[in-house]
Amino acid sequence: MTDIKTVWQTQTTEDNEMITLTEIRSRASGLKARVQWRNLALYAYSMANIAITAWLISTGHHKAYMRYEVPGLLLVAAHLFVIWQVWWRTSVRAMPGDLIGRAALDYLRHQLERQRNALSSAWLWYIAPFMPGLIWELWMRANLHPHGVAPDIDRALVLFLVLSAAFFWIAVGFAFAWGAARLDLRLERLNTLKAE
Amino acid sequence: MGTVSQDELYMRAAAEFGPALARLAKAYEADASQRLDLLQDIHLALWRSFSSFAGQCSLRTWVYRVAHNVGISRRVRRRVAKLISLEELADLESAESPEDAAHAAHALERLQGLIRKLKPPDDQVMLLYLEDMDAVAIGEITGLSSRAVATRIHRVKLLLSRHFRQGETS
Repeated sequence: MTDIKTVWQTQTTEDNEMITLTEIRSRASGLKARVQWRNLALYAYSMANIAITAWLISTGHHKAYMRYEVPGLLLVAAHLFVIWQVWWRTSVRAMPGDLIGRAALDYLRHQLERQRNALSSAWLWYIAPFMPGLIWELWMRANLHPHGVAPDIDRALVLFLVLSAAFFWIAVGFAFAWGAARLDLRLERLNTLKAE
Repeated sequence: MGTVSQDELYMRAAAEFGPALARLAKAYEADASQRLDLLQDIHLALWRSFSSFAGQCSLRTWVYRVAHNVGISRRVRRRVAKLISLEELADLESAESPEDAAHAAHALERLQGLIRKLKPPDDQVMLLYLEDMDAVAIGEITGLSSRAVATRIHRVKLLLSRHFRQGETS
């Protein structure tokens, strides 16, 4: 005659309960490498864009009547800002070292807050920085042209692109805000649990 | 804390709590490959966590906190089917009679099924109760007050007595 606790504690576990330190280190290296490659890909993409923009500005590979320097520099600044944000957000400082060893409720709250903050601010630091440079360039291509020379892009197309982008990003903003509100609700429930 | 201490602490923790960690992984994951993956994630997190372990709590509390937090992260990330509370689970009709659940293997399977339905921190309270921890220890690991833990343990006991005839599981 045994009780359910005994059944639980004496169950057989077919998995290898003791994992060697070599396996642990190899898994840790694999995880670190995956994160590094992901960040490296993003840095490489940004650096390539910066290099192309710098080359366009320095060699004047754009039409003489367009002042490409300003939107170009704005795009370079946006790329640098995003690189800095990614570095800062994925650095050790962003995650307290002892977080994983905190009580489950505190840990869960930290995770939910991180998700909520990411949802409510990602578009601000990842998308918005590129907008001034892009809009400036579009406006320039549609408006700056010598008399008798057709503009690079039709004004109606620019308007369509700007309105579509605005509509898309407003929808994304609402979706993010809705997600953040749901996480807020879960955080409230956690606070209630903590106060019990 | 140096590398040697980190390794030593991990080896000690793995030797002492390895079987409990394997049971926890079994409760969270039904699929064998996912279970092994979770168990390895727990061991990795545990080893890494010892670089910041400075005796903030007992080794046992630290090990269970890390293991449960890895479990929570995985559940949040994988968006498993809708999870329910102990109260809601108690309201559900038991499909089998306690007699049907009388065999140990079957009882274990059903028990794991019940835990997988529960949302945090109810699943954690039930798991820790099954590991024979007292309310204070469960409170330290989950962050719940002892009163909240006591209420949940009471519900766990009721639930278990309803689903399994205590003392006659084998």
